[in-house]
Amino acid sequence: MLSLRSVTKRYGALTALDGVSLDIARGEFFGLLGPNGAGKSTLMSLAAGLRAPDAGALTLDGVVVTPADPATRTALGLVPQSIALFQELSAEQNLHTFGRLYGLGGAELRGRIDEALTAVGLADRRHDPVKNYSGGMQRRLNLIAALLHRPKLLLCDEPTVGVDPQSRNAIFDFLEQRNREGLTIIYSTHYMEEATRLCSRIGIIDHGKIHALGTLDELLTQLPFEEEIVFPATPATAPLAAGLGAHGTLTTVEGRHRFLPAPGFKLSAFYARTEAHGLSPQLFAAARPTLEAVFLHLTGRTLRE
Amino acid sequence: MAVILTLVRKDIANFRRNRAAVGVTFLVPIVLIYIFGWVFGLNQKDSGPTGIRLAVVNASTNPAAQKLVDALKAEKAFSIVTTFRNDDKTTRPLAEQDLRPMIHDGDFRFAVVIPADVVRTDGIGLHLKILSDPRNDIEAQTVNGLLQKTIFSNVPELLGQSLQARARQFLGDGRFRQFNRGIAGTVATAFGGDPAEIQRQIESGDFGLNRISHPARPADPALRRIDNAAPPPAAAPAPGAPAAGQPTPSGAQDFFSRLVKIDSEQIVGKNVKSPAATRMVGGWAIMFLLFAVSNGAAAFFDEANTGVFRRILSAPVTRAQLLWSRFLYGVWLGLIQLLIMFMAGHLMYGIDVFGHLGNLIAVSVAAAAACSSFGMLIAALAPNAAAASGLSTLLVMVMSATGGAWFPMSFMPEFMQRIGKFTLVYWSMEGFLQVLWAERTFVELLPILGILAGITLVVMTVAIWRLNKKSIFA
Repeated sequence: MLSLRSVTKRYGALTALDGVSLDIARGEFFGLLGPNGAGKSTLMSLAAGLRAPDAGALTLDGVVVTPADPATRTALGLVPQSIALFQELSAEQNLHTFGRLYGLGGAELRGRIDEALTAVGLADRRHDPVKNYSGGMQRRLNLIAALLHRPKLLLCDEPTVGVDPQSRNAIFDFLEQRNREGLTIIYSTHYMEEATRLCSRIGIIDHGKIHALGTLDELLTQLPFEEEIVFPATPATAPLAAGLGAHGTLTTVEGRHRFLPAPGFKLSAFYARTEAHGLSPQLFAAARPTLEAVFLHLTGRTLRE
Repeated sequence: MAVILTLVRKDIANFRRNRAAVGVTFLVPIVLIYIFGWVFGLNQKDSGPTGIRLAVVNASTNPAAQKLVDALKAEKAFSIVTTFRNDDKTTRPLAEQDLRPMIHDGDFRFAVVIPADVVRTDGIGLHLKILSDPRNDIEAQTVNGLLQKTIFSNVPELLGQSLQARARQFLGDGRFRQFNRGIAGTVATAFGGDPAEIQRQIESGDFGLNRISHPARPADPALRRIDNAAPPPAAAPAPGAPAAGQPTPSGAQDFFSRLVKIDSEQIVGKNVKSPAATRMVGGWAIMFLLFAVSNGAAAFFDEANTGVFRRILSAPVTRAQLLWSRFLYGVWLGLIQLLIMFMAGHLMYGIDVFGHLGNLIAVSVAAAAACSSFGMLIAALAPNAAAASGLSTLLVMVMSATGGAWFPMSFMPEFMQRIGKFTLVYWSMEGFLQVLWAERTFVELLPILGILAGITLVVMTVAIWRLNKKSIFA
C-alpha cells in the first residue's frame, strides 16, 4: 500500500532519513520503533505529504505522495504527536472543521461525528471546549479527528504520550478494532509494550536507517541469544548487575534484572561471576527476550539528544 | 534571602534569553524617544515643522508683498508653491482660481493670497486671504501661527503704506506731502538725519516699525518680560491660534494683528459635523487594528507549535490555502474592528459614518487587508511567538509615529516624512480622511485603494515566500 524507495531526507547537515526502503501492506498494523531523533517523525511527515524527500520516492497505492499534490492525502489520516486541536472550540466544532477540510458536510458529516464521538466515549461532552477536557479525552479526540474521512492509511505519531492507562487502553482497543475492519496503520512509538501489543510487524529505525524489520518473533531471532537471564534486583545482586553492562544488555523492570548477553560472552563466564558473588543459581532463570532487548541491542544504550 | 536572590537570578536569565522582551524593553523606547526627540526638537539647533506645502499667490505689485513672499520662502517650515504645472508640463504662476481645486485634490493644504489691494484703502491695515484644508488641527494652528509671525515680523512697512494711503485719502495729495515733510523735518531736528531721506522712508511706509517688531535685546530683564508676555487673543479672524510652543506674536505684533484683515476660507471639511473626532479616528483605529493583527501573528505560532498546521496540511489543503485563510481571517477581523470603532465614534462623537458608509467600508477593507498582510509578514519574519510580539510592538509604534497617527508628519524631519509615506498607517489614515473629512467619491478614492492593495500584494508576496521557507508547516 505505502511504499518507500531509497528515501532520503536531510535538514542541512543532518540526514534524518538515509535511503530508507519499506513496504507497508494493506491491512497491516506496522510499528515504527526508534529512539528520539531516529527519524520516525520525519518518516511520518513524508508519508503524510507534509514534506518532500530529497531523494527516493514514496507512493501510496502507486501514486506518488508529495506536498504538491494534496489530492493523494484524502487516503491518509494523521494523528500528530501533539494535541493538534483548537482548544477554544468544542469537540463537535473541531471535528466539523477537520471534516470540512476533507470535503465532508451535511448529514453525512454529522453522522460521522456522532459515530466517532460515541466510539471514544465523548458524545456527552461534545459541546464542551476542548481546553476543559482531560489529557486522555483530548488524546482520544485527537485520534478520531484523523479518521472522520475514513482514510485507508492512518499515521499515528506517538499518539499516547502522557495518557493514563485507561485512556491508553481505550485508544488501543479503538485502533485494534479499526485495524480489524481493514484500516492500515503505521504506529510510531518508543513504548515497547505498545508495539508488542498492537503491531503485526515492526521496523526499528535509528540514525535515519531501518535497522530491523519483521514480526516480533523475527526480530527476536536477530538477538545473539534466544533467552535472557532474569534475576531479582536486590542489594545482594547489585554488584553482579553493576559488572554486567559491559558484557550485554541489562534492563531492570519491576524489581527484576533482565540480562541479554552480548555475542561472544559465554554463559559459563556468567555463572562463574555469580559464584564469585556468592549468589545461589536458584536466583537465576532463563526467559524469552522482550522487544526492548532487541531495541537496545540494535540501537545501543547511549542517551539521545 | 538566598531563595529570593536565586529566583531573581532566574528571572534575569530568562529575560536575557528572551530577545523579544529585551527588544521591547529597550529598543522600542529608544526608537520612540528618537522620533519624539525630532518632533519636539530635543537637542536640535533647528527644530520645528518642516516641508509644509504652502501655496502663495501674489496678485500685488507692491514691492513689500514680494518681500512677504520671499520671507515665506525663507521660512523652513514651508515648502512654497508658486507655480501651476499645465498638462503639457509647462508652468505658469499660480492664480487664485487654481487654489481651491488644488487644495481639494490634496496638492497642498494651505494657501496664502496676497491680493492686489493688500494695502487697504477702506481702513488702516492689510488685507490677506488664507485658504486651507485643516484636516490636521495641530498643523493648521501651527501654520496660522507661522504665517502671522512671518507677516508681522517681516513686512511692517505694508502697514506703514496702509497708514500713508489712508492719510492721503483724508488729506489730499498736496496736504499729505506737506504733512509728511513736516513730520520728517521734526524728526530730523529732534534725532538728526536727512529730512528728505526721512520723508522718503515715511512715504514708502517705513516708520521703523520693523525695529519695533525686531527690538534690540533690552538690557533690562523687565522689558524682556513685557516683550515676551503672552499676547491677548488676536483680533485677526484667522482660524485657530498658535499651538503651545509655536511662535506667538509679541506685544508689538499683537498691535499689528489688529491691523491685519485676514479672510480665511476652509476649502475641505467645512461640512464635517465633528471635526476633531473625524480627524483623529482614522489614526487611532488603524493603530489598534495593527495591534490586533499582531496578536494574530503570535496565534499563528501557537497553531504551528500545537501541530494544528501539520494536521491541516495532512488534509487536502495547500500551504497557500492555509496562508490565504489566515489573511482573510485578518481582513474580516480588521473590517469588523474598524467598523465597530467608527460606530463608536459615531455614537460618542457624532462622526458621520452613515453618510459615507459605502466608501468607508471600501477603505476599511483595503486598510484591513494591508494590516492583515502586515500580521502575516510579522509571522514570517519572527522566529517564534515572543519575537513576533516584540517585533510587532516595535513596528506598530514606529509606523504609527512616523505615519502621522500621533502627530502631524510635518513636525518630523523631511527624511522621516519620506519614510512615513512608506507605511500602511499613513495610507490607511489618508484613506479614512479622504472619506470622512474630504468626502471624496469612490472614484476619487481609487488611487489610495490601489496603493493599499499594492502594499497588501507586496507584503503578502514577501510573507508567503518567507513562510514557505520556514519549517513551521511540517
